[in-house]
Amino acid sequence: MKALTFTLIDQPDERLDLSGLTPVALAGLSEVQVSRLRIGTSRNPASVGDVFKVAGKDVNNIVFEGGSARFDKVGTGLNSGSMRIIGDVGDQAGRRISGGSLYIEGSAGDHTGSCMAGGRLEIKGNAGNYLGGPLAGEMTGMEGGILIVRGKAGDYTGDRLRRGVIAALKGCGDYAGYRMIAGTIVVCGRTGAMPGYLMKRGSLLFDRRPENPSPTFMPCGEPDIAFSSLFDRFLMDENIVNKPLLGPKPGKYGGDNAVSGKGEILFRQRDRLRSD
Amino acid sequence: MSVAWIGSQPVSLTDAIQNAVKLLASSRCPVFSLDTDVHGTRSAIALATILGGAYDHTMGRLLANEIALITDHGGMFTTPGEVRRRSSLIVLVGEVPVFHHELLQTWANSKPDLGDKHSRHWFHVAGAETNSLDSKLLRPMKAVPVGGENLSLNATLAVLRAQLQNRQTVSTLSNIDRFKSALTAAQFPVFVFSGGSVETAGLVMLQDLIADLNKKGRASSLFLPADDDAWGSALTSLWMTGFPPRTGFINSLPSYDPVRWDVQRMLREKEADLHVWVSTREGETSPKGGKARLISLSRTDAPTAGAMITIAVGKAGIDHDGVAYSSRIGTFGFVQAMAPSHLPSVSNIIRQLADALPGKKEFAC
Repeated sequence: MKALTFTLIDQPDERLDLSGLTPVALAGLSEVQVSRLRIGTSRNPASVGDVFKVAGKDVNNIVFEGGSARFDKVGTGLNSGSMRIIGDVGDQAGRRISGGSLYIEGSAGDHTGSCMAGGRLEIKGNAGNYLGGPLAGEMTGMEGGILIVRGKAGDYTGDRLRRGVIAALKGCGDYAGYRMIAGTIVVCGRTGAMPGYLMKRGSLLFDRRPENPSPTFMPCGEPDIAFSSLFDRFLMDENIVNKPLLGPKPGKYGGDNAVSGKGEILFRQRDRLRSD
Repeated sequence: MSVAWIGSQPVSLTDAIQNAVKLLASSRCPVFSLDTDVHGTRSAIALATILGGAYDHTMGRLLANEIALITDHGGMFTTPGEVRRRSSLIVLVGEVPVFHHELLQTWANSKPDLGDKHSRHWFHVAGAETNSLDSKLLRPMKAVPVGGENLSLNATLAVLRAQLQNRQTVSTLSNIDRFKSALTAAQFPVFVFSGGSVETAGLVMLQDLIADLNKKGRASSLFLPADDDAWGSALTSLWMTGFPPRTGFINSLPSYDPVRWDVQRMLREKEADLHVWVSTREGETSPKGGKARLISLSRTDAPTAGAMITIAVGKAGIDHDGVAYSSRIGTFGFVQAMAPSHLPSVSNIIRQLADALPGKKEFAC
């Protein structure tokens, strides 16, 4: 069966709420019913048929041909099947995903992967601020799954991360791992100011020494631990990176001592990188 | 003297209202920027509800930083009266806006009459980016500086919190031992801060530090808004919709999203097609750029540049009586007109706009 395909007719005049265009929400709907779904958010809201040409029938395999920074809440609540967006998306893409896969070929806005609990979300371009983080008033951020940004992530990556893996492969902004509760954040490239600020537990894994860590993170030497090799293998098995990130004896900072000091920043030693 | 203009032409108020209503009724995505008294804010939010628009304060970014502390974390707060009467240790954090200095100086000239009743001690926690407080303010207080070399305020607060728990840090702070002794001696230390000079992350660190102190004793914080009128608008918005500014209405239901309903961003990215600028603040002008049509309700004697319609309005406390937030009393208070004038109030004009809109919708104000 051919994938259910939404082909963008023209750039939308208004922000669109695409939370209703997921496998579960579209199951059992006819093409006409899908075309009539309201997705606009202005006073004269657009329906699916105004913005997209719809083709195909397989709701478990959804493709958006063409993207826009005004596509909000793409893939909200996805729990099975796959979605692919050939272009950019707006804010809150992949919010509360618990299964399946969401692949974005362009860049994504703020709160991408907000509170996701499972599944796989991959972004080919950059992501905005609060990657995986909670919205205003929510107590926990991402609780599971794998979130990969092939480009650069913004500030506050992994805010209140509780479980799961976030990877930003071309660096990230300030305060990565802000208020992190547990889980793992992987960053290749430059990190901004004070990674791990207010971090309780969890691991920040960098491919280089952080340039501007919080003064409440203490250097802990180069522990000889099995975790780094195991995790390097996991990252390569999942096609997140294609060479070891940390190596056998990574450098370590422990912190945030302002909170409980139970978190860690592990980083690849540069001299080791050159000798590898 | 004219109070209404279409473009740059003076017109009667009735003509201006009718033309403004045509713009409002035909708008696809109207947005409101507010900076007015309680009644004006209530009216504007009620009109945004009818129109399915979005609203923000003109100082939306600053206000969002202060509000984020409440929506994302919470905290322990006390009132100015409690600080004056009970606190023998006051800790200033970052910069305190100039208009609050008089309040602080009255505390410097008094002693607490409840609690430990000792003379007051003052400390000032500052980062490398903090401008030193007005020396006139600090002199009578003899505030002891607490800070580290080249540390930002957020880093300073992190180090302070760690050192108060006797944990290791890479940097040290000046006068930390004096500060620890003062905290041990004081029955009710209070940290005074404003959202204007501390990022939300730093505010969260400060509140966690206060929570740590409350495990063994008693401590609190006093929030002094960066702008009283802006904070008054936030409280009024909470009362009207359950949410602070940066709220929009989809299907007549309010939704709060500080990114989605950032009115300046909406204008910049051409999502909004009509901008209603409501400001009674002296000298404040609507932002330039963007393609949205502009309706300006401002305290002016000339048409607003770039506005399709300008209506002059009065300011509560100057042109007419009103209600405004005062951080000095920690709540709303009556403000009497100092120089009553012919200028109509914002709520009066917005009611006329609502009444003239086609269709019968309840104006909930």
